Amino acid sequence: MAAAQKVGCDLKRLSYVALLLMAASALRAETYYFTIAGLGGEQEYEQRFTGWASDLEKIFKSEPASQVTTLSGAQATRANIQAKLSDLAKQTKAEDHLVLLLIGHGSFDESDYKFNIPGPDLTASELASLLDKIPAQQAIFDMTSASGGAIATLQKPKRILITATKAGTEKNATVFARYFIEGLRDPAADADKNEIITALEAFRYAEGKTAKFYEEAKRLSTEHALLEDAGKGEGVKAPTVENGEGLLAGRFALLHTGSAVAMAKDPEKQKLLKQKEDIEEKIDELKYRKASLPVADYRQQLTKLLVDLAQTQEALDK
Amino acid sequence: MKRLLPLVLLSILPILAQAPATPPEALQCEALRHKGDPNARACYQRLIRSSDPAVMAEGFWGTGDFRSANDAFRALVKLRDKDPAPRVRWGRMYLEHWQASEASGLFGEAVKLKEDYAPALLGLALVSGEQFEGGAIKNAEKALKADPKLYEAYEVIARVHLEDANRPKASEAAHKALEIYPEALDAMALLGTMDLLDDKTDSPWMTKVMQINPHYGEAHAIAAHFFIINRRYDEGIAQYRKALELDPSLNGARSDMGVNLMRLGLEDEARKQLETAYNAGYQNPETVNSLRLLDSYKNYDTFRTPTTILRLNKKESALLRPYFQAEFDRALATYEKKYHYKLKQPVQIEVYPDHEDFAVRTLGMPGLGALGVTFGYVVAMDSPSARKPGQWHWASTMWHELSHVYALEMTNFRVPRWFTEGLAVYEETAAAPDWGDRLDPGAINALKEKKLLPIADLDRGFMHPTYGDQVIVSYFQGGKICSYIAEKWGYDKLIAMLHDFGNKMDTPQVIQEELGMKPEEFDKLFMAWLEPQTKKTVENYDEWRKRVRIVSGFVKEKNWDAAIHEGEAIRDMYTEYVEMGSVYQFLAQSWIAKGDKARATAELERYSKIGGRDPQTLKQLAELLQEQGRKKESAAVLERLNLIYLEDDQAHSRLGALSMDLGNAKIAAREYQAVLNLKPVDPAAAHMGLATAYKAQNRLNDAREEVISALEAAPGYKPAQKLLLELSGKE
Repeated sequence: MAAAQKVGCDLKRLSYVALLLMAASALRAETYYFTIAGLGGEQEYEQRFTGWASDLEKIFKSEPASQVTTLSGAQATRANIQAKLSDLAKQTKAEDHLVLLLIGHGSFDESDYKFNIPGPDLTASELASLLDKIPAQQAIFDMTSASGGAIATLQKPKRILITATKAGTEKNATVFARYFIEGLRDPAADADKNEIITALEAFRYAEGKTAKFYEEAKRLSTEHALLEDAGKGEGVKAPTVENGEGLLAGRFALLHTGSAVAMAKDPEKQKLLKQKEDIEEKIDELKYRKASLPVADYRQQLTKLLVDLAQTQEALDK
Repeated sequence: MKRLLPLVLLSILPILAQAPATPPEALQCEALRHKGDPNARACYQRLIRSSDPAVMAEGFWGTGDFRSANDAFRALVKLRDKDPAPRVRWGRMYLEHWQASEASGLFGEAVKLKEDYAPALLGLALVSGEQFEGGAIKNAEKALKADPKLYEAYEVIARVHLEDANRPKASEAAHKALEIYPEALDAMALLGTMDLLDDKTDSPWMTKVMQINPHYGEAHAIAAHFFIINRRYDEGIAQYRKALELDPSLNGARSDMGVNLMRLGLEDEARKQLETAYNAGYQNPETVNSLRLLDSYKNYDTFRTPTTILRLNKKESALLRPYFQAEFDRALATYEKKYHYKLKQPVQIEVYPDHEDFAVRTLGMPGLGALGVTFGYVVAMDSPSARKPGQWHWASTMWHELSHVYALEMTNFRVPRWFTEGLAVYEETAAAPDWGDRLDPGAINALKEKKLLPIADLDRGFMHPTYGDQVIVSYFQGGKICSYIAEKWGYDKLIAMLHDFGNKMDTPQVIQEELGMKPEEFDKLFMAWLEPQTKKTVENYDEWRKRVRIVSGFVKEKNWDAAIHEGEAIRDMYTEYVEMGSVYQFLAQSWIAKGDKARATAELERYSKIGGRDPQTLKQLAELLQEQGRKKESAAVLERLNLIYLEDDQAHSRLGALSMDLGNAKIAAREYQAVLNLKPVDPAAAHMGLATAYKAQNRLNDAREEVISALEAAPGYKPAQKLLLELSGKE
């Protein structure tokens, strides 16, 4: 446990550094959002999938330094998808971010996952091959039915993979995408209130809401979302330091909701930002030692650090 | 399953009144058993050695080896596939082995082989009777038509009538059974039961039973069954004890006693009795499920006050407790005043998040598909999380059940079912007009087809319903009768009637005493009062049904103008319909699409006022009201939602914020605490809300603790940082 905590602590610290770097290099780095809404089959699903894709487009277009592409309906063909991903392979750099979102129906034939689109379907193998050529850091949100069947093929070190289902056998239409979109609009999704919704926060929000949807409807859940960002394993419902999942997703900024980026660009604030980062690191360390400390000691130390942090933030905001 | 024991007893056939399905070799053993002769077992053991599979099967059955008996019957039925008799005997064995549906299948097959085969028809009557279905008497009468000497069929009829509290008919049928066979033990037991229910300490009929069979504990188990279904649990348990004294091997009675001890909260003895029955091989679903439920009690928290005991599942106790305790206290205080009665001990409410656990509590009780059930001072009910959101109103159910506690206690459990249910339904509406039952399609059909029962027979609607919705319709009718009495003669008349029932008067006597008329006259007056209220809906119901589908179609097509035009035209044909797909919801959706939020709000306000319970719709109404600056009304809608569904963190959060705006920090704190208890995706915001509410109450230390918790979850949370600095500055 102690080792895991130490690792977690280091990674957490890394995450802050990474966030700041990302923020500082915002001028150079781009985020590419590519949403594909596949075949609905029925009018109701067609409308739903296209509507979700359109909602995502609106949300992502508000993000600074972003490039948003959406393919839905008749546009979402294999040729168009391949062309776009090939373009991204040429366009993007290692510091860029790619967010790929698949909405619609998927299927799984015991060997490969297929994303249902007009014309020939796109298999997970084909998709993996296209994605492997793209240098940008990648977060793939496969929110289709049977998407769990794509995990083994799409997973790769340094790639965040989120699926709406835990296996290819979960074939019913999913609601995960609905709650994923809701999360991007709901301030509650930004659980740590740092004005950035990370891939991990978005996953946790949508996963929780999806589970509640089935629980409230007293229906047997036909989808169990998973996150896999270690490049191995089957993916997990609850990413933690202990299971080694969620570390990459926790520092992948999906959407900015406030002034974090702008602040990072101001050289006057750099000193205070560094001070803030130091306090945040100390808070992280303290939180990871929580179980080994008497409650009163922990609370006292935490309060002091939080007051320091609040004062630093106050100075930053002046 | 509760009824199994008395039915099993009916299988003891004497030689003189044999059922033709029983092999002659087995009749001698049955005669010995009928007399309580200990040689009966040896007799059955001898049958096992027979080469005739029919006889062998009886032998296995008689010695309690159900598995071997089952195999033997299966082989026998194969061998005599055109003979209904083996199927009937096999079915009777299944009936004794808690498998009524298998028994029913076999009796049905036998009837297919021989349409007028009396033992099979009797079997069907026994199954219907056990499951409190309306067909028991019909099948028994068919059996008697085929075989007028089948005294067991009269016993079935007697029992069903007694369950309906129809003493004259029950007595008549029991005597007919005795005319055919003077040693019909169960007929005697039923007559004896009537004496005991009348508070006689003993009965000549019971004495007679003992003279024939001194070990016939089943006679007292039959009496216990009737005490239990009349909710006289203590007396029922006393009868089970007598049954077991006479025959300690009556494990069915032992299990039933355990179940009823549980109902009274006497869990230690309940466990002991249930485990004894289980270890003796009596492992029917009731016994097994009750033991499982007892085991699960370790997962419950118990909260006590001088007048209440609240048992909540640990996984939701923190969330439910403030709301449940508040309504619990409020209901008891209200009823104590209304009924002029102080309860003698604390009332216990058990709240089950798993409906199956609650269902174990109601097994074997007639007419209880329900949401709650009252066993004297113990109330069991579903948790709000046990059902789909909006499917029911938990506070209304709690008030309903607590009304029963008073009605049962004040009458020493003598109140008839129709009156206690009617009064409880009346009390729901009295507590809040939007709580009570509305005119539902089942009641509309019953009114249309003139299916409401005369008041003197209304218990039958609860005990032995003859059509699908009859139990629900009977609740509606009982509630309306109480409303009518309260309106015409005053509420105190209802209390006076309660006292009369407590003085052992029956429904006709009470109607005469308090209302000065015969039940038939009351029925006429009641219908004359009810019909004008319901006429419009009843007459227009079919048209409304057709046209509401048209409105739904317009909404689906987004043809908002047409939906509004048609919706407004039919809305008032059936104003009380607020279930899924109500006209109010369609109209609101259409008005919102057209951008007229004020009109949408007006429709949803109607919906809520009448009793609409869909959480999403109520949340939408709250939001609309808030947008229009009607914060107080918005908060009231969310408070109403709290009495329906408590698991929505967004609703709690919104009510928390509204309450702060309205200057009610105490309510705000309760709401933010509820959000935290629901383990939200955003705990920081909830801690922050709670901190703000505490600060407003000048609970500065608590506020500081909460703001630190908020920042622990989200160190960069700016509003919380500001509050922390502010609170730190105040130290």
